[in-house]
Amino acid sequence: MAPGILILETGEMFPGEWGGGEPRAGEVVFNTSHSGYEEIATDPSYFSQILVMTAPQQGNYGVSDEVWESDRMWIKGFVCLEMQSPRLEKSWRERLERNQVPLLTRVDTRRLVLRLRDKGVVWGAIVPRSGNSKSLALDLIRKGKKKPKDWTAAVSVKVMQDFKGEKETGPKVALIDFGYKKNILRELLKRCSYIRIFPSQSDIQDIKRWEPDGILLSNGPGDPADVKKGSELVKKLMGWKFIFGICMGHQILAQAVGAKNYKLKFGHRGGNHPIEDQLSSKIYMASQNHGYAVQENTLPKEVAVTHRNLNDQTVAGMFSKKNHFLGVQFHPESHPGPRESGALFDLFMKKIKENAS
Amino acid sequence: MPLKKNLRKIAIIGSGPIVIGQACEFDYAGVQACRALMSLGLEVVLINSNPATLMTDPDTATKVYIEPLEFDHVKKVLEKEKPCAIISTLGGQTALNLSIELSDRGVLKDLNIQLLGATADMIRQVEDRNLFSQMLTRLGCKYAENVLVKNFKAGMREVQKMGFPVILRPNYTLGGAGGGVAYSLEEFRGRLSIALSESPSSEVLVEKSLLGWKEFELEVMRDARGTFVIICSIENIDPCGVHTGDSITVAPQLTLSDRAYQEMRDEARKIIEEVGLETGGANIQFAVHPETGERLVIEVNPRVSRSSALASKATGFPIAKISALLAVGFHLDEITNSITQKTPSCYEPALDYVVTKIPRFDFEKYDGVEDLLSTQMQSVGEVMAIGRTFKESFQKACHSLEKREEDVSVIFSEDGLTYPNSRRMQFVLSALRLGYSVEDLHTLTRIDPWFLEQFGQIVEMEKYLQGASNKWDEGLIRRAKCYGFSDRQIARHIQAKEQDVYKYRKKKNIRPVYYKVDTCAGEFQSHTPYYYSTYWSAGNEEQKPLKPRLMIIGSGPNRIGQGIEFDYNCARGVQQFKKMGYEVGLINSNPETVSTDYDISDQLFFEPVSLEYVREVLHFFKPTTFVIQLGGQTPISLAEDLTNEGFVLAGSSLKTIDLAEDRGQFVKVCSRFGFKIPVNGLASNFKTALKIAEQVGYPLICRPSYVLGGRRMALIENEEELRAYFQRYRDFSESRPCLIDQYLDSFLEVDVDLVRGPDWSLIGGVIEHIEAAGIHSGDSMGVLPPQRLKPAVCDRIEKLSLALAEELQVLGFLNLQLAVREDEIYMLEANPRSSRSVPFISKATGIPLVDLGVSAMMKKPAEEVSPEQYNWKTLPLVCVKGVVFPFKKFKKADSILGPEMKSIGEVMGRAEDYPSALTKALISSDFKLPAKGEVFLSLRDKDKPLLLSAVQDLIGLGYTLSATGGTARWLKSEGIKCDSVRKVHEGRPHCVDRITSGKIVLVLNTTSGRRSINASFGIRRSCMDYSIPCLTESHAIQAFVLALKERGKKDISVCHLREKR
Repeated sequence: MAPGILILETGEMFPGEWGGGEPRAGEVVFNTSHSGYEEIATDPSYFSQILVMTAPQQGNYGVSDEVWESDRMWIKGFVCLEMQSPRLEKSWRERLERNQVPLLTRVDTRRLVLRLRDKGVVWGAIVPRSGNSKSLALDLIRKGKKKPKDWTAAVSVKVMQDFKGEKETGPKVALIDFGYKKNILRELLKRCSYIRIFPSQSDIQDIKRWEPDGILLSNGPGDPADVKKGSELVKKLMGWKFIFGICMGHQILAQAVGAKNYKLKFGHRGGNHPIEDQLSSKIYMASQNHGYAVQENTLPKEVAVTHRNLNDQTVAGMFSKKNHFLGVQFHPESHPGPRESGALFDLFMKKIKENAS
Repeated sequence: MPLKKNLRKIAIIGSGPIVIGQACEFDYAGVQACRALMSLGLEVVLINSNPATLMTDPDTATKVYIEPLEFDHVKKVLEKEKPCAIISTLGGQTALNLSIELSDRGVLKDLNIQLLGATADMIRQVEDRNLFSQMLTRLGCKYAENVLVKNFKAGMREVQKMGFPVILRPNYTLGGAGGGVAYSLEEFRGRLSIALSESPSSEVLVEKSLLGWKEFELEVMRDARGTFVIICSIENIDPCGVHTGDSITVAPQLTLSDRAYQEMRDEARKIIEEVGLETGGANIQFAVHPETGERLVIEVNPRVSRSSALASKATGFPIAKISALLAVGFHLDEITNSITQKTPSCYEPALDYVVTKIPRFDFEKYDGVEDLLSTQMQSVGEVMAIGRTFKESFQKACHSLEKREEDVSVIFSEDGLTYPNSRRMQFVLSALRLGYSVEDLHTLTRIDPWFLEQFGQIVEMEKYLQGASNKWDEGLIRRAKCYGFSDRQIARHIQAKEQDVYKYRKKKNIRPVYYKVDTCAGEFQSHTPYYYSTYWSAGNEEQKPLKPRLMIIGSGPNRIGQGIEFDYNCARGVQQFKKMGYEVGLINSNPETVSTDYDISDQLFFEPVSLEYVREVLHFFKPTTFVIQLGGQTPISLAEDLTNEGFVLAGSSLKTIDLAEDRGQFVKVCSRFGFKIPVNGLASNFKTALKIAEQVGYPLICRPSYVLGGRRMALIENEEELRAYFQRYRDFSESRPCLIDQYLDSFLEVDVDLVRGPDWSLIGGVIEHIEAAGIHSGDSMGVLPPQRLKPAVCDRIEKLSLALAEELQVLGFLNLQLAVREDEIYMLEANPRSSRSVPFISKATGIPLVDLGVSAMMKKPAEEVSPEQYNWKTLPLVCVKGVVFPFKKFKKADSILGPEMKSIGEVMGRAEDYPSALTKALISSDFKLPAKGEVFLSLRDKDKPLLLSAVQDLIGLGYTLSATGGTARWLKSEGIKCDSVRKVHEGRPHCVDRITSGKIVLVLNTTSGRRSINASFGIRRSCMDYSIPCLTESHAIQAFVLALKERGKKDISVCHLREKR
C-alpha cells in the first residue's frame, strides 16, 4: 500500500495510507456518526468536502446501493483510521475507488479532529506522499477554491422532475432542489400525491404555474450567502404557500426574511445532537450536517425560534406564522441518524392543509 | 423539572453479596447514586449486606445499614428511617425483587414510601414472560416462538411441538439462574425440573433457540419529559446461545448498517414507552438473523445492569448517577455532561475508539466442571479494554485477563469451535493459524465474518513477525503495536526477549500515546482525564501536573480470591491520597469497579494491569511514587520491575515484600519471634514426598509451589492418597516442586490486619474463623471480636504481630493468617499489603483502616495520625462474616470446602450478640434456616463426639433426623431416634433420592479422604441443585445450630454503622 497524506492549507500534515482514487482537494470536515458512510458520502451537502469519519473502522457492513442519497458521491475524499479489507465483493473501498474518491486510511483522525475543532475547518488535499506532495496539494486547494460560489447550483437538478406520490389524497409539493437527499423525496412520496423537483434557480412562474399546495426547500452545500438567486426566488414565494426548509433551505428562509447566517467554527455533523423542539415540547436526537447557522439576533420579530441545538444553543428551527414557513437546521429525513424528528414531515402536511383552508 | 419537592430522605437498596451475575457493578452504581443524591443535600439511607463494597462505607451515605436484604429486615429499616422514597433500580435483580415484595405486601403504602425508577407493575411487565410476550405482540415487535409452562408435564408436552434446541428461562431469576439450552428431550427433562424449582413463581419460558443469531444490546435512558437516548450499542461477538455476561462483546456495535441500527433504535424507544419506564436506564437485547436481518426482541431490563456499568465505562456517560438524578425529578437536559462541562446530558455518546469486554472464567478452580457456555452466566469477572481499532482493543483485553496462555496456539477440536466455551476465541485464532478460512469458521462458530476477518488479520501479523525474525523491522513493529500486540507476543514471534523489544521500542520511540474518552469523539473539549493508550498516534492529550502525582495500581478483573475488596481498598485509598494533597492516578482494567469511575481518581487509565502497560502509563504520568499495597496480589508482582525502571515505591520496600513473600527467609524471621511454622518440605517426586510425609505426619497439605491462589491444593490423609496425588499431577520437578505442609488439624484460625507507620502501629482487628484451620481463609466464616480465642492469647497475637511488622520494617499494611491451639501460635501466611479482610474490619470496627494504611505508607508520624484514638476491641456489636459460593451455577461442582478458595462473595451480620449476628450472616448468604422438618446427617467418625450436643439441640428444636449407616448407628447408640437411609451405592431409594424428593430441609455432611468425598458427592450436589442448606464442616455446623436455636427469641433489630449505642 502506498503512502498518502492529507495536507491542510494551513500547512499541517496528516500522513496515512493511500487507499485509491485520485488526488483531490476539499474543505476538511468531520462527522461523528458511528454508521452511515454510504448515506453521508452520497449526500450532496458534502459537495466539495473531504470527509473525516471519527468512528475508526469504516466499510464494516459493506454496501447496499439502495441507501444512496443521490446518484453519485459528492465528497472529495474519505479519511478514516481503518477500512474493511476488500475481501467482500461489494466493498465500500471498491465503491470509493470506482468513483475516484481518494481514500486515506491509517490517519490519526483524532488528532485531525482536535485540530479542526480547536482552529476551525480549513481546506485540504489528499495526495500521494512524495517529494512534491505539498506543492501538489496547495495547487489542488487553490484550484478547488476557484469554483463558482453558489455550490447549490452545481448540485441541483438542471431540469424539472416529476414524481407520483403514494397518497392520492395528499398534497402537491414543489421540492426546490439545492442538493436534496433522496430520503426527503422518499418521505414526501409517502405523504403526497404529486411531487415536482425544481432546479434551485428556477423561474418563479414555473413554480406558480404548477400550483403546488406546499413548497419544500431542500438541504444543500456551501455558504448560504452565495445562494443569491435561490434566496431571491424564496423571497418571492414567501407567504404564497406554506414552505418547509431543511438545512440549507432553512438558512435560505432566514435570508429571505432579511436575517443573516454565520459560519460555525467546525460545524455540526453527526447523529447525536439534542434538539429541543418547542412545537412538540420534546427533546430528540437529530441527524445534523451543517457548517453555517442562522444568526438569531438578525431574525425579524415575527419569526419564532422553535428549535434549539442544546449543545451550543444555536438556532435549530424557526417558524413564521405571518409568512407561513417552518425551517429546521437538522435533518428530519435522517439517513443516516435517528429518525425521531420524522414527524416534522407530518407537521408540514398539516400546515399545508391549514394554509389551504 | 428540578428536584421533586417532597423528597428529603431516600433509601437505596443494594444488591447484596457478589454472586455470579451480580457483582461489583452494582457497587459502582450505588456509590454513584449516593454521591449524586448527597450532593443535592438529600439524606440517603443505604441498605446492603455486603461489607466489601464502597457503598457500605460509612462515608458513602447518610446512614449505612449492613443488614440482610430480606423482607423483614428491610421492612424494619424502613420503619425506623421512614424515607420518602426508595430507588429500586440500582441494586440489580435483588433490589427489584425486594421492591416488588415490599410493594405487594403493602409496606410501601403503609409507610407512605414512593417507589422511584421502576414501579412494581412495570417490573412485572418485563419480568413476567407471558406479559412480556403480550406486550411485544401489541407493539408489533417480533420475539422467539415460546411457551410458558407451569409444571413438568406441560413442559414435556409443549417442547415436543417445538423441536430442539430450546432455551429454558425461569421467571424472575438472576443471571439466567436455572436456565439453559437443551439439545435433546433427555437433556430437557433434567433441566426443566431444576428450572421450575429455581423460578420463584414456578414458571419457565421454553423458547425456540436462536442459536447462531447475532446478538445486540442497547443501553438506553429516558427522563420524565420523555427524552430518550441510546447511551451505547453493544454487539456480542458470541452469537445467541451464550449469556451476554459470558459473551465477548464490543461497543459500539460494528456490523450493522445505519438503517438496521436506526430500526433497532426506534423499536427500543417504542418498547420503553410501552413498558412505562418513566425515568432511568434500561437495557434491551435483540437478536438479528445473520442472513435475513430479521430482528427479534430477547429481553428488557428496566434498571441499571452489568451492561450499563460497562456502557458507562465504555462511553464516559455515568448511567447510574444520571438515573438517580432522573429518579428524583431532574430531566436529562438539566444535567450537565461532566466530561465536557458545557453540553447537556441529553445526547448520545459518539465513540472514536472500540471497546472490548472479555469475561473471566475460573472453571479450573472447580473440579469436574465442564467448560461449556450457555444461557446461564458462569463468568466470575470481566475486563474491558479500549483501543482505536477492534484488533488493538481485543488484544489489550486479552492482556488484561492476566491469563498468560491467551495468545498461544492450542490444540482444539472442532467441537471447541462449535460449542461455546471460555477458550473459543483462542481456538478460533489457532484454527486461523492452521489455515481455516473465514467461511469455514463462520460455518462452525456462527461468529460474524467481520470479526473472523479481524482475527485473521491478527494471525497474518503474527506471520509477518515470524518472517522477520532476527531482523528488527521498525515499521513492522510499529504496525504490530497498532494491532495491540504486547512486547511479549512480539518477542515470541521474532524470537527475542520481551525486554529487548521494550528496549528497541524505546530506542526507536515506538511508544503509546494517551487519548481521552470524551463522550463526543473529539467534538467538544474534555475536562476529564480518562485515558486509554493507543499506538495509532504520535501526540498525547496531556494535562499539566497540578500537584505531586501518585499512581495507584488496581487489581484487574475479579476472580476467585481477588475481588471487590481490593476495589474498596483502592477507591477508599484514592480519597485519602487526595486529602493528603496528591493528584492521584489509577490504572485498572475492570469495568465493574468503583475505582474505574472517572469521578473517583484525578486521572484514570483504563489499561491492562501488566508490566508493559503499567510501565508505559508511569512514564507518561510521571508520578513521584506508585502504590501497590491496595490492589491485591497483581500489583505486588509488578513492584520489582517497576522499581528497577526507576519508579519510586510507596510504603514498604521491596526488601520488606521479599521477606514476607519468600518462604525461606520468612520462616527464619518468624521463628525468632516465637511464631511456629507448620512443618513443611519440598518434594520433586513421590519418593521425596514420602520422606517428607514421615516428618510432617498425616494429614498433610500438598500444593504446587509455583501456582498461586491455592489451586490444586489438597488435603492428604494417608500414603495411598499421597501416591494418587502424585499420579494425578505429574509435572513436579526440582525447579517446580510440590510444597508439603503439616495440616493443623482442628486449630483455630485467625486473620490479623495491621498497619505500621514510621513511629506507630495499630491492630485493625483480629477475625476468628468459624471453621477450623484447613478451610481457605476466604471460604471460612469469621467473627469479630473473637468468641473462642482466649484474651491472653489474643493479646499475645497482637503483640507478636506488631513486633513482626517492626522487624519486617513494614510501612503500610500487613495481613497475617495464624492458626492457634492452646498456647501455640502458628504462622500460616503473611501478606505485605491490604488484604481481603480490610473492608470487613473497617466496617465492623469503625476504624478507617485504609486511610490509616495510606498515611502509614506515606510515613505520616504518630502525632498527625493519633492512632491511639482507635481501639478495635471497643466494638459496639458482634460482626459475623458469611460466605457465598457459586456452586449452584457450576453443574458438576462439589460444594465441599478445603484449602483452595471457592467462594465468590461475602456478607456481614451485625448484632448485639453472636447468635443473632450469625443468623443475619446466614440469612444474607442465602442460607434457608428451616423451621422444622427432617435433618439428614452423614458424619465422619472424628466429628461425631464434637457434634453430639448440636444434634441433641436439633432434636430439642423439634427436627427429625435421618442418617446413613455409621452415623445412624452412632445416633442410636447415643439414644437418639433417627431414620436409617441407604447410601447411594447401597441401592434405591437412597439418601440422594430422599433429598431430591423434597423431604429433607437440612443436610449435615462431613467427610474427608478422596474416596469418601467422591462417594458423598451426590448428597452435596443434590442439595445445591434443590437449594437445601448443606454444611460440610463441624464448627460451621455448631454455629448453624446455634443460630437455629436462638432464632426468633429476639425481635429483629437493625442499626446503622454510626449509630450510638
